[in-house]
Amino acid sequence: MTFQELAKELLEIFRRGVDEPLPDPLFNDLALRVFRFQCRSNQAYGGFVIRRGLDPERVMRWEEIPFLPTRAFKTAALVSGDLENVERVFRTSGTTQGREGRGEHHVMELALYRECLLPNFKAHLFPEGGKRLPILCLLPSPEAAADSSLSFMMGEVVRALGEEGSGFFLGSEGEIRGKSFLRSLQAAERGGNPVLVAGTAFAFVRWMELAQENGWRACLPEGSRIMETGGYKGRSRELLRADLYGAMEAAFGVSEGRIVNEYGMTELLSQFYEPVLAKDQRANDQRMMTSPTGLAERYHRAPPWVRTRVLDPLTLKDLPPGEVGVLAHLDLGNLGSVAAVLTEDLGRQFPGGFQLLGRSSGSEPRGCSLAMEDFLASRGVES
Amino acid sequence: MNPFRAWHLPPGFSLQEVEVAALEAPRLPTLFYPALSEPRLRELMDLLRREREATLVSFPVSRVVDAVDRVAGRLLDPGDNLRARVLETLAPYSGFSSPMAEAILEGMARGWMRECLWDLVRSEFSDPAVLEGFRPGPTGDRTRALGFPLTFHLGAGTVPGVATTSLIRGLLVKSAALLKPGLGDLTLPVVFAQGLEEEDSELARNVAVLYWPVEEGGRTETVLGEADLVVTYGSDETVRWVRERIPPQTPLRSYRHRMGFGLVGREALGGKADGEVPGGKALDAVRSVALDAARSVALFDQKGCVSPHVFFVEKGGKVEPEEWAALLAWAFQEVETALPSGEVSLEDGVAIQQLRGAAELGEGLGEGVVHHGGEGAPWTVLFLPGGVVELSCLNRTVRVLPVDTVQEALSALKEWAPYLQTVGIAGLGGRRAEVMEGLARLGVSRISDLEGVPWPRPWWHHDGSGPLQDLVRWTDVEGVGVLSQGIAEE
Repeated sequence: MTFQELAKELLEIFRRGVDEPLPDPLFNDLALRVFRFQCRSNQAYGGFVIRRGLDPERVMRWEEIPFLPTRAFKTAALVSGDLENVERVFRTSGTTQGREGRGEHHVMELALYRECLLPNFKAHLFPEGGKRLPILCLLPSPEAAADSSLSFMMGEVVRALGEEGSGFFLGSEGEIRGKSFLRSLQAAERGGNPVLVAGTAFAFVRWMELAQENGWRACLPEGSRIMETGGYKGRSRELLRADLYGAMEAAFGVSEGRIVNEYGMTELLSQFYEPVLAKDQRANDQRMMTSPTGLAERYHRAPPWVRTRVLDPLTLKDLPPGEVGVLAHLDLGNLGSVAAVLTEDLGRQFPGGFQLLGRSSGSEPRGCSLAMEDFLASRGVES
Repeated sequence: MNPFRAWHLPPGFSLQEVEVAALEAPRLPTLFYPALSEPRLRELMDLLRREREATLVSFPVSRVVDAVDRVAGRLLDPGDNLRARVLETLAPYSGFSSPMAEAILEGMARGWMRECLWDLVRSEFSDPAVLEGFRPGPTGDRTRALGFPLTFHLGAGTVPGVATTSLIRGLLVKSAALLKPGLGDLTLPVVFAQGLEEEDSELARNVAVLYWPVEEGGRTETVLGEADLVVTYGSDETVRWVRERIPPQTPLRSYRHRMGFGLVGREALGGKADGEVPGGKALDAVRSVALDAARSVALFDQKGCVSPHVFFVEKGGKVEPEEWAALLAWAFQEVETALPSGEVSLEDGVAIQQLRGAAELGEGLGEGVVHHGGEGAPWTVLFLPGGVVELSCLNRTVRVLPVDTVQEALSALKEWAPYLQTVGIAGLGGRRAEVMEGLARLGVSRISDLEGVPWPRPWWHHDGSGPLQDLVRWTDVEGVGVLSQGIAEE
């Protein structure tokens, strides 16, 4: 199997959209072929697999495929194929990496990324169908941030789904073009047609601070929606999120139920969304009816070409539903790098997908010195 | 599991009409604590100060030493119910394995025995009688040292026994104590205070041990605002939090982030290479250094401020650093039997798995070697030629960095100076003096052989300053003429 042959198969699956399930036997078959291709063509990953004592030809279930930690994306160029055929290198933001370098995702074919991100985005942010909307991004443009996979993604989204008035409102250094963003919000308000606002939680917080300082407010037309992505660390995520969404409701006039969290990472070409605008066909309908958007009931949904497992971090065994563990994703969209990725994100299985509990805070300087109640938090006590 | 009453209060303090709150967590005994209001907390602190005026301030140091020694003896006696009371909940609350909890209890209690306490007092005060009354100072004037009326000890909860040691230090200088332990170090101070009451009830009137969730109900702020001295253990963040909440007139002694290191000289690796492969006794000696190193990390599951994070290993011995890293891995597996690893938190588990996986990938690319305990044990050894110092993710995860000479290690430690504390050394031969001087200049506060790393001497200048000196105020009297009265017998 070559890259091109596998890519062709995958493109067909991506184009069928996210509501067309990929039954387990088919997923398994494809995952194993991708795995074997990657072992052959990706020397670093192939070595890792052998180091784990596995013969790729003898692996029969996708669950046996060894997950490579995201940290390894900082160690080596993980390319399944020729390094010289890499079309783009995306880099992790580096802000939380401390002394280490930044993770790098070498992408062989941007077209594959494009095809894999669009149907998923559409299903969760444009569930009503094909009508274009102005898309206002609190992000640097893809040109300004060529190594940001998020900027690239939104660039593609704007091209495919954006209307006149769409734009990017952060500079290359992350500075907010506040007045310009405000004018776009006001124009949307005047025009009366819904818009989509997308950005990181961090950028939204900074915008709202700026807006408050200047007394700026917006009340976006009905039907508007927000895609929010990124960073909550630690235990009080639920609380931070309720506060954040409350503040966003006030700042944009978009109700909490129309704010969708996107969970994505540089190391994966596929994304996960909360099905809050779209009713998730695969989820338990009754539960969806009682509380479609309550934050505690929210969960993320994977596209059919991704499987997510919740593992005990030390034993790497699957945890029973409801138990908190580390998330591991097998993303066939990662054909050109490594498909099986072990994250640092904590979560639990949930009907229809998984609940994301945030990034594990990892190792910080400690001695006789865990923060006073760290212990409590690590034992799952809400204090 | 029986519920645990997470307090010990002086008999003069009534808990009538106080709400007792419960804290529950999976797999832990339910914990009860009295949810004291601010006025009741103030009342408790006033009571402790009054008790101290009436008793402790005029007790001789020897009375404190004797009482603490009796309690320590009981904690070390396998047949004593005080020890049994500690062991019932020490492992579950601390997260350590039962054998480890027992080892920690014993190591800590040995440090509270008479000899150790006197070593501490004598090393801190050349004339310990300054704690009893005025004594001649260096030029014939008079001087006296006395602890603050009430010390607030705020425990971190990382290593059991640390908070109790703090409490004992305070009592030695005649300061009443209010101790709020962290959850991981809850059992020992509570049961210790019970033991003190059984051994010397008058002395125990000066002690209150009381748990509450640190951010609950403004209690921590109240006590920080009212104590005469605050001693806190915790992360840099915790120390900052505490510092912002104490009035300017209240002194603060803080024990913050620290990390340990190991330096293994070529002399401990079979001496200079002369073409011979070490065997027999020579290899036994190298193995024994690896075992000492593994134990120094394993004790406290590397969560102690003394615990090493990185071993610098010199090239040029008969055993090369890479082989020594493999020996260290063997030693970790050996140690796992006597001192099994405790519970690994989710977050630590995530970090360990990331570390292992990235290192396994790196190994395939010729960037070092990784050994680990698989799914059964968290220990992980990374041998990283050309690697840099990084904080470990605890739970027995170490880096072995090969160096041409030990001077290279000293240079690498420079940027970690604010965090340096204990350095364990092995086999530096005639270069020891030079290395010790280099470490002192970096601000290292303790150098020990690897075997001694986990248990500092009682008189150790904790993080570089005086463990008792830091807890007292001095009163000096100038002019001998006015001093014919009120001076302790010489």
